[in-house]
Amino acid sequence: MRLDNTTAPEIADEYVLGLLDPAEQQAVEQEADKNPTLRTAIAASRERYLPLDLTVEPAAVPAGLWGQIEAGLADGDTAVPLGGATLAPEAALTPAANDNRRFGWRAAALSSMAASLVLAVALTWSLGRQADPVVIAVLLNEAGEVQAVVEDFGNDTAEIRLLADIRVPEDKAVEVWTLPSQEMGPVSLGLLEDGRSSRLEAPPLPLPAASQLYEITLEDAGGSPTGRPTGPVLAKGFAQPPR
Amino acid sequence: MSLAELPTEDLAAMLAACGRGERSALKRIFDTEGGRLIALAERILRRRDLAEEVVQDAFIRIWTSARQFDGSRGSARGWIYAIVRNRALNVLRDGRREDTVEEDRLEALREDEQMEHILSAWQALDRNSRLHDCLGALDEKKRSGILLAYVGGYTHGEIAGRLKLPLGTTKSWIRRGLSALRECMA
Repeated sequence: MRLDNTTAPEIADEYVLGLLDPAEQQAVEQEADKNPTLRTAIAASRERYLPLDLTVEPAAVPAGLWGQIEAGLADGDTAVPLGGATLAPEAALTPAANDNRRFGWRAAALSSMAASLVLAVALTWSLGRQADPVVIAVLLNEAGEVQAVVEDFGNDTAEIRLLADIRVPEDKAVEVWTLPSQEMGPVSLGLLEDGRSSRLEAPPLPLPAASQLYEITLEDAGGSPTGRPTGPVLAKGFAQPPR
Repeated sequence: MSLAELPTEDLAAMLAACGRGERSALKRIFDTEGGRLIALAERILRRRDLAEEVVQDAFIRIWTSARQFDGSRGSARGWIYAIVRNRALNVLRDGRREDTVEEDRLEALREDEQMEHILSAWQALDRNSRLHDCLGALDEKKRSGILLAYVGGYTHGEIAGRLKLPLGTTKSWIRRGLSALRECMA
């Protein structure tokens, strides 16, 4: 899909009116994640047509509906080991994302094929390196694809190597996190410059352990404003010591 | 036109509170916007049960995505309504609206009523608004095409059928209509 300042408003209108086919719609959503021009055009188009939505006569709200919504929120709060665990439980995908995404992590985690591939990648990659990391975590995206490998050396340095192209919008940055313990909560290991692999100097942390969670999220440039993960989760995985 | 009860700045504040995990803020959004959002989804889906389901899912999505709302990229109301619209359109495109089996003639009658209903959204706009004027400045077919798509969730093919125009012509009419409307409202 070609996009520039002249075509973005046109595509945004057709997207907002629901005139694109599903493949085009998805392409627009992906593009909008990294393209501020398109994002702005979509927002402008929404505002342009919103008054038509406000012409409806409000319907009577059924008594039980709020209760059902609240019950749905409770479900969402329950962390599922491996598949559902994340450092940023509130972070979710774009509003227009399809229904299946919520369950994608679980599917990814259950995919044994992905897991064995991941191990092979990690082992090959860690062979022949000088210092031995204390743990290695292979980070998968929602689709179960390998995105990055984190080696935590336990001396407050960690090396993260990206194994996939991660698109980082201009005003965003990729931040690396780990969860040393529930009490400590998620701790930032640092930011990836321009979305490239790098060696990070982390704050002093307890020695990393087996099954420790590592995660990368998309945050505002300069890092999460709250010191905790706030953005969408790009990839995550549990560490294991090499043997 | 019914006016919004909550100013959009308040809605933005409610979304921020949802992002901090305050359920009362989500309830407040539901209380002020829920009825209109159900009606909005029903206008697209033509079924109350599906519309309620869509709004239920949409509120869970609003809750989980609230932190991603960015006020510099549009209004809180536009963001919330887009979530409901997108879900309604997805359900529609999955073909669930067609689940109800009706007699052909009854369906045709309902279809005409539905067209009237959709096209009347334009008349229901505030007469002093830019959108009302700019839609009014379009030829009838362009205006109808845009309204059928946005208000009724019709596809290019469905619009071509209703307006009795070839598909290619319909697409280019709508495209030109959208472009004229952008210019008019700029």
